[in-house]
Amino acid sequence: MIAQAVLNEWYPVAMAAQVGAWPGRQTQLLGSDIAVFLDAGEIVVQRADGSALAVCLRYGHVWACLGTPAHDLFPIPEADQPGRRLVDCGVVRVKCSPLRAVENFLDIAHFPFVHTDVLGAEPHTEVGRYEVQIREDSDEVWATKVHFYQPQAAKSASGGIVTEYMYRVAAPTAAVLYKTCPNKPDAWDVIGIFVQPLTEELCEVWPWMALFDDATPQADLIQFQQMIFLQDRSILENQIPRLLPLDPGKEIPTQADMTSIAYRRWLKRKGLTYGAQMVAA
Amino acid sequence: MSGMWVANGLSQDLPLGVVMAGSWQGAELAIWRSATGRLSAWNDRCPHRGMRLSHGFVRGETLSCIYHGWTYGTDGACSKIPAHPAMVPPAAIKAEVYACVEADGVIWVAPAGTEVVLPDLSGLVAVRSVTVQADVAALTRGLPGFVQHGAVWRGQVEGAAVALVVQDRGASVTLHGLGAGDRVRLSRWLDGVRRLVEEGVLA
Ligand code: FES
Ligand SMILES: [Fe+2]
Repeated sequence: MIAQAVLNEWYPVAMAAQVGAWPGRQTQLLGSDIAVFLDAGEIVVQRADGSALAVCLRYGHVWACLGTPAHDLFPIPEADQPGRRLVDCGVVRVKCSPLRAVENFLDIAHFPFVHTDVLGAEPHTEVGRYEVQIREDSDEVWATKVHFYQPQAAKSASGGIVTEYMYRVAAPTAAVLYKTCPNKPDAWDVIGIFVQPLTEELCEVWPWMALFDDATPQADLIQFQQMIFLQDRSILENQIPRLLPLDPGKEIPTQADMTSIAYRRWLKRKGLTYGAQMVAA
Repeated sequence: MSGMWVANGLSQDLPLGVVMAGSWQGAELAIWRSATGRLSAWNDRCPHRGMRLSHGFVRGETLSCIYHGWTYGTDGACSKIPAHPAMVPPAAIKAEVYACVEADGVIWVAPAGTEVVLPDLSGLVAVRSVTVQADVAALTRGLPGFVQHGAVWRGQVEGAAVALVVQDRGASVTLHGLGAGDRVRLSRWLDGVRRLVEEGVLA
């Protein structure tokens, strides 16, 4: 049985521009077979029995809800800001819990070891104290004032800089980060991941970017982001247990893991347990 | 109890400064050799966030996890958390340690504290390991004339003594081969054993 709270959330199920006529994209959402296809110019998402799901189109993606949507899809105001380039980076299929994929996106301490010489490098491994809160008004997890030394923070960066980050969990399987922009010191680059939970141990991840960068060719931006996500995949497919533990068990967090702790607490409080392990093991 | 000890490879296949994946019954392990040659076998799960330690890297006398670089000494205790360089890690952060020894060119693993009682393989030279996609029961087919003593199958190949140490991995079996005769011939013979056992499984 999947908790009602899980069913009532929005999940990404396709790139809007890539949806074709029946049979369209045959895929899964929370273990149910679904089809995403164009019918008389409208994008339809339906179950195997032919019943239609609630759908909304945002950020170039198709979002669907298996139950009754508890709220509108989260806003990303920067998506509509003039001057930004929206870059979709394709999809990466990962054999892991969708929640582990989001937690990894919120993590900076792995940069020097997993994205060596790109997003981090020894000996610059320290994660300073930052601020984390569960914002009651928007019902989101936020981490702010996160600083980290990076050898090549973005495709457009040349040489090492200290980058400032903000992280935001906007939905159970969608997160957005804001990072200082090498080309425009007063603005933030915005990078998201939208994770489609196929099952509790299998997901498809769409990196998404809204950048102030007119110089770097699209193909290079995509290749950069794909490289980063393939490095992350080699981690995500090798974590034990596969499900994200929500109760303190064998995993030991430290101060650098405050975002992960808040994310797990938020999931547990809201009953968003799909892809999670409740009993310590 | 010698039955508690499971062969996990040949010494020659685990050089200095290298980590590999291993197994003890159902448990998955990380087995590594330090720069000075000390062997360790641990549960293949980093205490921080569960990453497989067998994907990590060896520096000197320590093994580091590839995810966030948490570093562990040969006793399993965490000695460094790179995200907090000034912090001394609490003693509670420790890899789950197994006993690991090597004798006659074979690496053996057992739960910590197990008395060291190993089969005598002296006089034989380690040749190579082959993994066979079959279960232990299928082995009889590929090893006619061989006699089984616990994990070790003994017999003769072209007049020379041979011992195969069996590592049961559930769906597959790894045979760690040692012999007194010509190594190249023994190595070819091992390929034949694999084919015979696997064909028997398919038939
Ligand atoms: S999971 Fe091993 S250091 Fe974080
Ligand atoms: Fe990463």
